[in-house]
Amino acid sequence: MTARWFRILRDRNGRLGLLFMGLVLLLALSGLILGADPNRIDIPQRLAAPSFAHWLGTDNLGRDLTARISAGTRSALTLALLIVAASAFLGAVIGTAAGLFGRWLDWVVTAIFDTLSAFPALILAFSLVALYGTGRQTFVILAILIFMPQFGRLARSRAQALRHQSFVEAERLLGVHPLVIVLRHILPNIAGPLIVLAGMNIPVVITFEAGLSFLGLGVQPPASSLGTLIKDGFIYMSESWWPTIGAAGTLAFATLGSTLLAETFRDILDPKSATDAEGRA
Amino acid sequence: MTAAVSISGVSIGFGPVTVIDDLSLDVPTGTTFGVVGESGSGKTTLLRAALGLQGVKRGEIRLMGELFGGSLAETRRRARVIQPIFQDPAAALSPRCRIGVLMDEVAKVLGEPRDSLRQRLDEILRRLGLPRAILDKYPHQISGGQARRAAIARALLMRPRILAADEPTAGLDVSVQGELLNLLQELRQTEDITLLIITHNLAVVRLIADRVAVMQSGRIVEQGEANAVFARPHHAYTRELLNSWPATS
Ligand SMILES: Nc1ncnc2c1ncn2[C@@H]1O[C@H](COP(=O)(O)OP(=O)(O)OP(=O)(O)O)[C@@H](O)[C@H]1O
Ligand SMILES: [Mg+2]
Repeated sequence: MTARWFRILRDRNGRLGLLFMGLVLLLALSGLILGADPNRIDIPQRLAAPSFAHWLGTDNLGRDLTARISAGTRSALTLALLIVAASAFLGAVIGTAAGLFGRWLDWVVTAIFDTLSAFPALILAFSLVALYGTGRQTFVILAILIFMPQFGRLARSRAQALRHQSFVEAERLLGVHPLVIVLRHILPNIAGPLIVLAGMNIPVVITFEAGLSFLGLGVQPPASSLGTLIKDGFIYMSESWWPTIGAAGTLAFATLGSTLLAETFRDILDPKSATDAEGRA
Repeated sequence: MTAAVSISGVSIGFGPVTVIDDLSLDVPTGTTFGVVGESGSGKTTLLRAALGLQGVKRGEIRLMGELFGGSLAETRRRARVIQPIFQDPAAALSPRCRIGVLMDEVAKVLGEPRDSLRQRLDEILRRLGLPRAILDKYPHQISGGQARRAAIARALLMRPRILAADEPTAGLDVSVQGELLNLLQELRQTEDITLLIITHNLAVVRLIADRVAVMQSGRIVEQGEANAVFARPHHAYTRELLNSWPATS
């Protein structure tokens, strides 16, 4: 099992993904380690190019971009992990229940999933913001509503298929407690694909958050977000490229890195390639 | 003596389609009972109903004279009476659990101390010719034949009064078929078990069944002592079935 994880290093994309994510994580943590204040204004130093004092330059108010991008990256990564984990967990629980117990529960859950995914994400965003205003909390709820249905559908169809497999029926006929059946015999057989889907969604959520914040619907200033940083950068693009380059570059590294890692994980967790690896071990 | 399985006036349907039609059948305790019939005649459906995996529209099915409900407590009570033997043994073992964990689940269900269960298990493993080492393995790490015997061992741990097998020999070559049937027959005698075997393979029934019921389109058309039915089939369908064999098997 552990030997399987070393296969990330054997894969070229896996190594690249690890490198990119390593750099992004380093940047995210650098703000905490260096302790620069992302909100300290220093007008004389506005829109400075990278220097020893300001590694990534400064923005239009002379705030240190390393600190700001670092904070934005931390926020993007925590939000992405939080949203993906919550969506996957809720989707797994609801989808598995719908797939196993069927009948009206399945009908209701499917209807909710279909309704949620029928809404274009932006329309849903506008309506939620109109109702509850902008803010981190609104954004998290919105994102969970948008990302949960795919996990739910996957869990539901997997659970439906498993429900009639001989081994599940054998457990039932033995009198094993339904909760044990779900936790020990159903979920472990669903978890693999759900984890892969979660990994593939991390870059999507990062981009989604940046996009909404860019439009002013996501994380609100003064809290920094890669999206607002890119927007601010855009406004002063004619005066300096540095704010845009730093924030957009970080976003690119984060999405590319997490995509590459997720794809490598998917290949490793693929049952066929897994048995292949064990056969060689 | 009460019948091991007593089916009376059972009808089962899927939507508008009736698959089992007002069927009654008694399986005497201690026998090896074969149910034969062509594909689609409803054999599997009937067996699933006896196991409690399939609801009935009308009628009732008693096991050792008792009726069972659908609650967990009732399922557990039923589990001590009847256990299945699945056609595909590997598919009947949960793929992400070690065999030992699957065996220990029985202790949980029975409320039996794990040590006492492991003692009984040792005995059963020895009888089935399984090494203890398989307990630490996952289902995909043991052979198909071992998986089949592991599934049977697990069923035996429940000390059931009835073993119900749906096409237990499908996909096996003839010598392995014989071995499995001998094992089942032996278990029936030593463990005092009623064996219900459902198959479209007449050779299997002829080899081990004391009694046989012939099924056609959801009804029993003929039943009796196996030798008698095979020697002097009364019903036209049985004759047809006998004539078409061995061509079909
Ligand atoms: N879940 C189901 N939904 C709808 N129809 C079903 C279902 N299960 C079985 N049937 C139908 O019931 C009839 C009897 O099926 P069953 O599986 O009991 O036959 P069988 O005698 O076991 O056949 P075989 O020898 O091929 O296994 C078939 O016509 C089948 O299409
Ligand atoms: Mg069948």
